[in-house]
Amino acid sequence: MEIQGLQMTEPKASPGLFKRNPPIAGEAEAIERAKAGDAEAFSKLYALHKRRVYTLCLRMLGNVSEAEDMTQEAFLHLFRKIGSFRGESAFSTWLHRLTVNLVLMHLRKKGLQLVSLEETINPSEEDSPKRDFGSRDSQLAGSVDRVALERAVASLPPGYRMVFVLHDVEGFEHNEIAVMLECSTGNSKSQLHKARLKLRELLRQPERTPEADFKEAAI
Amino acid sequence: MTSQNSKQPDSPAPLSCAEFQQQLPDMFAAGADGITDDPAILEHLKTCDNCSALVRDLQYIADQARQLLEPTHEPSDNVWKKIQKSLASDPTYKQ
Repeated sequence: MEIQGLQMTEPKASPGLFKRNPPIAGEAEAIERAKAGDAEAFSKLYALHKRRVYTLCLRMLGNVSEAEDMTQEAFLHLFRKIGSFRGESAFSTWLHRLTVNLVLMHLRKKGLQLVSLEETINPSEEDSPKRDFGSRDSQLAGSVDRVALERAVASLPPGYRMVFVLHDVEGFEHNEIAVMLECSTGNSKSQLHKARLKLRELLRQPERTPEADFKEAAI
Repeated sequence: MTSQNSKQPDSPAPLSCAEFQQQLPDMFAAGADGITDDPAILEHLKTCDNCSALVRDLQYIADQARQLLEPTHEPSDNVWKKIQKSLASDPTYKQ
């Protein structure tokens, strides 16, 4: 399957893919019926996957309106291409790959040429995480809840966020990310590492409270 | 820097924190959540509190990221309405 130049191949089945995205009850039957154009079955697939597709779009784009547009695009594309799904990978993995490719294509169409995409992947020095050669700090383990992590991820520079979401959240491999983002595998590894360093830095910053702000203002 | 490497017979050449941290992207990418059998890296991890804390934190962040796979956001009802409207004109869509 190809989306205007982007290869849309079905990843080879691996135990990890199915473990990470286990089959959902009733999904297989809905897929087969949707392949025949069954509106009710397609509606079921939408209900099962809309939140994950939308959340993925929102994390990649950081914008509600664009994320809704891309969710719509992804499901319209799904309807047209579902016949090519052969079940060699988890359906959600396949759908997410389709969504990621559409979002990346959208970003390129928006004027993000490959060169500027590379710049996005390589943020300026001010955005770069600070190296950690010396300072001793408290550990993060056990101290980070989902909300704090979600907020920190949202505040990452776009290039870091993209690689972090694709690798650590969605479970894509570096070689897959390199193809999607048209960068080297080494670049993907490096950006992921920088993203995690930046997250560590963000998560270790104490949360600002009105009391703290007041004290700071008084000083 | 709190690295306390001391050279012993047959022990690997000690890594500085900078050298150790340069290897982290490949170490994590190699899998097993950053667990390695490279003696120089293991030696540095054993003797440097800051770098071992850094590795623990990065592993923790990668572990915690998996919980974000579960979606937290929901598209508005408009999205499905627009999808239905587009599909209504598709002859293969059987309502």
